[in-house]
Amino acid sequence: MNRNPTKFWRRWPDPIPHPKAEGVFPPTQAMLSEPVDPATAEAQAARLRKVWKLPTGAHYWTAVNNDQVGKWYTMTAFGFMLMAGLLALAIRVQLAVPDNDVLSADRFNQFFTMHGSAMMFLFAVPLFEAFSILLLPGLLGARDMPFPRLSAYGYWSFLIGGCFVLGSILFDVAPSSGWFMYPPLATEGEGIGPDIWLLGLSFIEVASIAAAVELIVGTIKCRPPGMRINLMPLYAWYVLVVGVMILFAFPPLIAGDFLFELQRSLDWPFFDPERGGDPLLWQHLFWIFGHPEVYIIFLPSIAIASMVVPTAARQPMVGYSWVVLSAVGTGFLSFGLWVHHMFTTGLPQLSLGFFSAASEAVVIPTGVQLFAFVATLMVGRVTMSLPILWIAGAFAVFTVGGLTGVMVALAPFDWQVHDTYFIVAHLHYTLFGGMVFPIIGGVYYFYPFFTKKMLSQRLGRWSFWTTFIGFNVAFMPMHIAGLMGMPRRIFTYPEASGWGLVNLISTFGAFIVAAGILIFAWDLIRPKSRQPLTERNPWRAGTLEWSHSVPDESWGVRSIPYITSRYPLWDQPDIVERMDSGRYYLADAREGLRETIITSAVDAIPQSVARVTGPAVCTLVAAFFTGGAFILPVFHLYWAAGVSGALAVAAVIWWLWTSTAQVPETPMKDVGLGLRLPTYVSGPDAPGWWAIFITMTGDATAFASLVFAMFYYWTANPDFPPQDAIHTNLFWIAAGAIFFILSWAATFGARLLNRRTLVKYARALLVAGPIAALCGAACLALAFWVSGMDPATHAYPALVAAIIVWTLAHVVLGGIMQLYCLAGSLKGKLTPQYDADLWNTTLFWHFLLATCIIAALVVGPLPRLL
Amino acid sequence: MFDRFQRTRSLWHMVAAPLVWAVHFVSVYAATSVICAKSAATGDARAIIVGLGLLAISVIAFIGWRAWLQRDLDPDDPVVNQATDDHRRAFLGHVGLLLAAISAIGVTYVSLPAIFIGTCQ
Repeated sequence: MNRNPTKFWRRWPDPIPHPKAEGVFPPTQAMLSEPVDPATAEAQAARLRKVWKLPTGAHYWTAVNNDQVGKWYTMTAFGFMLMAGLLALAIRVQLAVPDNDVLSADRFNQFFTMHGSAMMFLFAVPLFEAFSILLLPGLLGARDMPFPRLSAYGYWSFLIGGCFVLGSILFDVAPSSGWFMYPPLATEGEGIGPDIWLLGLSFIEVASIAAAVELIVGTIKCRPPGMRINLMPLYAWYVLVVGVMILFAFPPLIAGDFLFELQRSLDWPFFDPERGGDPLLWQHLFWIFGHPEVYIIFLPSIAIASMVVPTAARQPMVGYSWVVLSAVGTGFLSFGLWVHHMFTTGLPQLSLGFFSAASEAVVIPTGVQLFAFVATLMVGRVTMSLPILWIAGAFAVFTVGGLTGVMVALAPFDWQVHDTYFIVAHLHYTLFGGMVFPIIGGVYYFYPFFTKKMLSQRLGRWSFWTTFIGFNVAFMPMHIAGLMGMPRRIFTYPEASGWGLVNLISTFGAFIVAAGILIFAWDLIRPKSRQPLTERNPWRAGTLEWSHSVPDESWGVRSIPYITSRYPLWDQPDIVERMDSGRYYLADAREGLRETIITSAVDAIPQSVARVTGPAVCTLVAAFFTGGAFILPVFHLYWAAGVSGALAVAAVIWWLWTSTAQVPETPMKDVGLGLRLPTYVSGPDAPGWWAIFITMTGDATAFASLVFAMFYYWTANPDFPPQDAIHTNLFWIAAGAIFFILSWAATFGARLLNRRTLVKYARALLVAGPIAALCGAACLALAFWVSGMDPATHAYPALVAAIIVWTLAHVVLGGIMQLYCLAGSLKGKLTPQYDADLWNTTLFWHFLLATCIIAALVVGPLPRLL
Repeated sequence: MFDRFQRTRSLWHMVAAPLVWAVHFVSVYAATSVICAKSAATGDARAIIVGLGLLAISVIAFIGWRAWLQRDLDPDDPVVNQATDDHRRAFLGHVGLLLAAISAIGVTYVSLPAIFIGTCQ
């Protein structure tokens, strides 16, 4: 570019350089050991306390601090779990004796469907997010998550969606087709049950993805200075892996829900074989989500074990790299297993063979981590505390579930036990051992960190042994019931079947489990105001969260430490004292803003100071209207849903405009220990840019699932697209693609010109961008319209229409983002130096352009070639 | 994660081997589905699966070898828990090497059925 000085762009001003950190890093020992003046420290603490103060009174519910949101989230998920548990007890009562009639067949169907759905979507996955939101900032010595309002938004969405889905059971309209909603049963289902499931849970899935974005960015960008990737707490590794898994696992289900709901409300026949559809497509999309989901549930719980085990053993984790291998390896391999839920659907033998083989392969990394834990316990000196008791129970139960898993991964064995109680036993062993036991162990372990009080040792032991014994009494006989041939999901069985005794034992065991869980629940909520505060580090642990303040302070950490070890509290003498005295970074809040440090992804070198958001009503409003947009279509109130959706978008814009990417009062600030950091960064250094990148990766996965559907139909159906099918109009498709390229170029150009201080040209491009986007959208719609395709006649036009609708919705969003940048530029919020919004919009448009071009190819020329 | 794509500082290099596994898995799944649905020429499918398997294994072996060089652990103290560039580099290499091993096992497992199963149906 610089070679030819006569080129016209050489006459343009140079781009404004991005600010970089200045000063000393890492800090020297002399700097760290220099004492802080107590009067200064006191003044700093007072300012920090004021900035991080929780809102009081009714405004309490506008809080966004991770410790508050995390507590609400955890308790809500636990409440949903208790309700789903009640459903299970009702199921067990009905099955206790042959020919029982406590529940009608339809009510039984509603109960087991909601039991499974609620345990999976309202308890297991959200609890990981809840726990991680509570824990992660503490583990990383950060003040808060990078996007506190996003956590709050996710929580409120979860609460609204969860109450809606679970509440349906009170009105006798709950979904009743099983937690995986197989068509044609679910597509043909009368009533609004399937719609409640599809829309309510889609809403919660969106909230899950929001949490995943938050947790990934938190792990990558909010580590304390010096905490390199090889020093990261193992829990953070698991969070990172699980967050990425959510990004690739949930979107296929969202795409499936999208198709399913289009079939339910508009009669577009995606899963109807009579009109070219295929019910198996749903099974694929569901299990591409559903199998990784098992590991999404399991890994975070084992992550808790990875924190408890070293503490109990008084010994750093043996084979840290091996545990990381195990987390990452399981994360990958778990995506290659989904067909083992579909062994009986008549897929080619060869396919069954390699899915079976892959299912066996995933045992290897799972085994590696269990051995690493056992090795740690063996070389250490174990103190048998309550948390480790629960973890030990988890290992025992999970191992049994894992071994039956190895059995059912073999296709011929699976053919025998498919859809029998053997599977019910297997999945409960993996989920109780892989999730419930370690989570409760985690609650016992982290409770002093969350609440500054201890749980009862005595109740804990009672709860453990009751749950452990009851669980085995309830579920071990189910293996036998299954081998005796008892199918799943039957509401009763005849006496002659001979299944009466084992079922009675199971029911008996189920009530013992319930008693154990109730003891735990009582311990959790019993009033503890007269109980003394816990000591600061009751378990003598080595990780950073145990530097927490007792009594509680809402600032997270008093000052953000410099880390040089995996177990700083064991290996770095004086660290807690120095943190407390404000010796480390960001000990002050002079500007009255909530701040945390952003560091580089691998070596955790400080990069900038992020101003994080505080209490807000806008997130509540946004969650409320987003809920409306998802819930109202259940009752066919499409206009009201549209209005609600528009209001949700407005609320989100209000939220972004008033609190994100604000022009700072100074470009650089002193953060302590001789280090000066930028207060505003844009592009790949900024957490917001990462959030867009991660969100769009998930979005691209959902879009890829729609494209997959096109190829899937082609392989599954000998006549697809049909010989006499009408295709879209190629001229309008091509015109649309050109407009999209222009709009993308305008956005990209606006970013480059704006950075070179050519603000007027940038604004002109930001006017041209949305116009081109609108023209492109019109062309794409026309391409479908003029062809005269009718989506209700066949799966081919239906899928083309669905891809176009998906693309158009994204183009509208892209246009809104361009206009948002334009408004920011006019208002002085977006300037050549402070241009994060424009970077993020450009990044969005990179993904959008790829979506548009692929969509154009897939709905235009491709079907003509198939 | 994007840190200048420098080998020893890149998570992408660490996960290169499982990425190869993923691409291999998708290719095998797609090839089998298409061949079994469209031509039923099982011989082709088996040959393609074995071929893809060998290709993937050799790429993974190369990645594993590079990771082995990067790993470079001190045999007397193989724990990479220091806050130094060296330990971070060795750590990423070590995990990369282990992931290469597990990916190679994964690819082998997925290819085996093509040797033992003769037909699509």
